[in-house]
Amino acid sequence: MFVVRRLAAAVPALLVVSVLVFWFVDMIPGDPAVILAGPTATDQEIAAIRDFLGLNEPLGTRYILFLRGLFEPELATSFRTGRPVALEIAERLPTTLAIAVGGLLVGLVVGALSGVACALRQGTLTDTAITVLTLAGISMPIYWLGLLCIWLFAVNLGWLPAAGASTPAHFVLPILVVATRPAATFSRLVTANLLEVMGKDYLDTARSKGVSELRVILVHALRNSLIAAVSVAGVQFGAMLGGSVITETVFGVPGLGRLLVQAVGSSDYPIIQYCILMFAVFFIVINLATDLLTQWLDPRTRQPATR
Amino acid sequence: MSMLPNQTLRRVTLVLMCLATPLAVAAQPSGELRVAVGIDPDTLDPLTNSLPIGNAIDLLVLNGLYRLGPTNNIVPDLATEHFYSADGMVLTVKLVTGRHFSNGDPLNAEAVAASFNRLLDPATGSIFAGLYASLGKAVAVGEDTVEFHLSEPNGHALMLLANSAAMIVNVGAAQAMGAEYGRRPVGSGPYIVEDYIGGERISLVPNPSYDGPTPATLTRITFIVVPEDGSRMALLETGDVDIAERVPPEAIPAIQALDHADVRLLPSMFSINMELVLRGALTDARVRQALNISVDRDGIAKGVLGDLGTPSVGMVGPGTQDDLRRTFEPLPYDPARARALLAEAGYGPGQLSLTMTCPTGRYIKDVQVCQALQGLWQSIGINVQANIVDRGTWSGVINTLPDARLDNMGMVGRATAGMDYTLYRLFYTGVGANRTGFSNARVDDLLRLGRATTDPGQQKEIYGEVQQIIWDEQPFVFLWYQKQAMGVGDAVKGFEVRPDETMLFQNVTVER
Repeated sequence: MFVVRRLAAAVPALLVVSVLVFWFVDMIPGDPAVILAGPTATDQEIAAIRDFLGLNEPLGTRYILFLRGLFEPELATSFRTGRPVALEIAERLPTTLAIAVGGLLVGLVVGALSGVACALRQGTLTDTAITVLTLAGISMPIYWLGLLCIWLFAVNLGWLPAAGASTPAHFVLPILVVATRPAATFSRLVTANLLEVMGKDYLDTARSKGVSELRVILVHALRNSLIAAVSVAGVQFGAMLGGSVITETVFGVPGLGRLLVQAVGSSDYPIIQYCILMFAVFFIVINLATDLLTQWLDPRTRQPATR
Repeated sequence: MSMLPNQTLRRVTLVLMCLATPLAVAAQPSGELRVAVGIDPDTLDPLTNSLPIGNAIDLLVLNGLYRLGPTNNIVPDLATEHFYSADGMVLTVKLVTGRHFSNGDPLNAEAVAASFNRLLDPATGSIFAGLYASLGKAVAVGEDTVEFHLSEPNGHALMLLANSAAMIVNVGAAQAMGAEYGRRPVGSGPYIVEDYIGGERISLVPNPSYDGPTPATLTRITFIVVPEDGSRMALLETGDVDIAERVPPEAIPAIQALDHADVRLLPSMFSINMELVLRGALTDARVRQALNISVDRDGIAKGVLGDLGTPSVGMVGPGTQDDLRRTFEPLPYDPARARALLAEAGYGPGQLSLTMTCPTGRYIKDVQVCQALQGLWQSIGINVQANIVDRGTWSGVINTLPDARLDNMGMVGRATAGMDYTLYRLFYTGVGANRTGFSNARVDDLLRLGRATTDPGQQKEIYGEVQQIIWDEQPFVFLWYQKQAMGVGDAVKGFEVRPDETMLFQNVTVER
């Protein structure tokens, strides 16, 4: 029921988003017909292209066509390529998701391990080194880090390809780069949470029962720390989808971010509108998944939903 | 006695066969070429493609009646001859016979006419329907003749036929495939599209059924799309690609230092100017002259553009149509004279305020040049506001009619092959891209005459005078012609780039 209620609540939210997206995108400076026609086009040529693209229709009519495009994909086509927007998005989505999911997983694992190491080795060189690295990871711009990685791993060491997406090796650098910020964030979070719970009675109880220290840390202490990390992971994943614009441009990866950048550059309204709407759907789904995961990890949070 | 000629003939034939064998072997496609490009072509359908990278691929996959050669010169492709009717209203083009599209369909006059009529029909979404409107209608006459029933006399029709928009598509296939035709166009060129992954790469392989005179020289050409300059240069540095286009000025020394690649600086017909909106103070020729002679073009070309620009010596850039192009004495850099001209026009220091619109990232160092211009003009006493805007806003501003413009000038690059195409749309009263409001009765007369005449001598005289008037009237602040910087591996031979920034791969071989 909880899932159904949340999904039902998402419908009006998405409708509002669709209106705002459609309206705002229509107000973006730059007439798509002018951009398509080129800088030497005559007024008549621009008018003919506007007509062909359906831009002379009233805003309301175009909005209804936009909504119909959600259910009849062949109605929604890119201004630039003439291909269905659904097809353009379907071709790019797996690449973006692969990098975002890969980055999140790497970030979670590295963040959790380094967070635990930091908490257990407080005040040591390990703690200092990890703290410095995490601070660097949080503060380094992705764009700069990407170029730095290309320079180091592709140009100088020759270990990995610099750009493209034709082999699994091409995904290594983008995933590592997008994983940096979540890894650093999780690391700080896990360290702080572990330090907070390390002295709690329930851990001493577990130890007194003869549970090994490793099991105390991983099962009892870390599980509680992960509850906060899961909430952060949801936010991080959304940010990674948004940040794909930068990563995909730097590494020449054909994902949704690049598609969106190109579409904005050429005022390809349908691509921009459906892409943003899809990002909104992702955020809603991710939030829902985060809540469900939190409930699974922390039974106390289930109570409101079962009343 | 009768045996001797036969024996000789046999020997000659044998020798010729021996000589021909290595040639035949050499003619086989060999080697793979990888090219890093900065932008995705969006579509390969000539109907809607307007990008040089799309042109480069179309030239390999499609044929035209004519095509533009390495200097934007018109060269025959499928056409064997052409002639105009006595009244100049019918252009007849004869074409080779026996050629086929890669799907086996015949490439005859009917196919050619169908392709042109698709281009001329606005209902197909053709972005060039207006530009090509003067071709009127294409009619097939037999197997090898196409007649263009022109809607107005046009002495520049061959230039239209040679542009990439006029390449011959298989209309049947285009109708059947819809928008997918833009990904895998069915043509009659030496290559076919093997793979098209939007935003990542396009690969071409030899067309197995190619029956023309210029077969494929390479086993594969792969275009890898990498918009970020640093990443694209990294691919060239690591040897992952053989050619990287658009080398940024700051990366030139690093690429030149490589032991396996170099930078080629090539001319471009991109003529970049500050186009003035001719109203208020800018209707005064003295003010326009003051703006022009207060620009240190050499300083900007060297100091700001890193030598990727050549100071303008005429509005029309090199390669636009060289046989009709005129160049002039460079404008002097004379700030003292500029101040005097402004004073003569009634504008003392600080009394004239102007606003300019500049794009960001559209041309090499566009923002920096605008800042330099702002400083130069402020130094002669003009208050200049530089509005630096995104591409969408910029295209909106520069396409606004002069009366509705809120600014006084905008930075625009013009790069259209053909003198009529370039000058008519920019300077004929009230048409096309004439967003300066320029109007000159003599220029209008000359442009009409120049369009109608088919006599090259007359055209040269007419367009020479038009260019002289524009250079004297100065409706633009003339700035620079862009240079193309291409990073090219030493293994690549026969690579050329046209002045319209279209790369030519027809004769490319790779010798690793």
